[in-house]
Amino acid sequence: MASPRYADSLVVLGISIASAFLCEGISWILIYRTSNYRSLRLSIDKASKKLETMKTTSAKKPKSKKIDRFETSLKESSRDLSLSKFKSGGVVALVLIIVFGLLNSLFEGKPVAKLPFSPSGFVQKMSHRGLPGDDPTDCSMVFLYFLCSMSIRTNLQKILGFAPPRGAPSTGLFPMPDSKTN
Amino acid sequence: MKESKSSKLHVQQQHQHNGDVSPFFMGKLLDPEASWDKDQLGDVLHWIRQVVALIFGLLWGAIPLVGAIWIVVFLVLSSGIIYGYYALVLKVDEEEFGGHGALLQEGLFASLTLFLLAWILVYSLAHF
Repeated sequence: MASPRYADSLVVLGISIASAFLCEGISWILIYRTSNYRSLRLSIDKASKKLETMKTTSAKKPKSKKIDRFETSLKESSRDLSLSKFKSGGVVALVLIIVFGLLNSLFEGKPVAKLPFSPSGFVQKMSHRGLPGDDPTDCSMVFLYFLCSMSIRTNLQKILGFAPPRGAPSTGLFPMPDSKTN
Repeated sequence: MKESKSSKLHVQQQHQHNGDVSPFFMGKLLDPEASWDKDQLGDVLHWIRQVVALIFGLLWGAIPLVGAIWIVVFLVLSSGIIYGYYALVLKVDEEEFGGHGALLQEGLFASLTLFLLAWILVYSLAHF
């Protein structure tokens, strides 16, 4: 029985799944199992739940100083969490670069799938990257790998419990100063 | 005065940690009287979106449905399913969970990429 024309898409999928597990494994070793990360995560979860309860019970009153203190503490813990992940994230980034390089060497200039739609704009720039011809429905490894990474890694993190806490505000490493303290 | 669902949270949580979480949790998925923690509800909506995305992706790749309009159709249908679930089945007060926007965007991007992945893979492998 002849193999499907786009069987390479399964190779891309398989490598993406393997690299997602590898990256989460590295993250677990370098970040998630450390006592620093666990205590930060615990304090963020507790603080955000406490903050939610306080905001619900004092919905009609003006924001109290206690709520402000909790919010500031939550922001600081979230920043420390981002910093702890940032330091070890370089190793994960290196692994992803190596995997991407491997896939590129295997599938450069070759469509690995067929798109059931014609993308436009910047999407087409990614989906048709490095491919010969003008058929917009030819799918490059880059686009397929991007879809695999986004969907598989996000859900894998959720399954393993490594997803970032919902209560953590996304202030990044360089939060803006609180206007109330000026 | 109508008792807020979140005020039942502490009583419900006391009954949760007794080792029999699974049957309790499965019953909770269809119980409009159940109270929800923000994280729990967010996780449930996230996974519903992923399952819906996978089903639609596999289905539309198999038929096949072709054209970018079907991405819009997927977004509308999956958001409609999520809205119908939390508003009509669970009957939650969306204001307690950050509003409609916060609930509707749970797992949205991951579900869109999963849908596209399933659609593209099935379409490519089954029809070429």
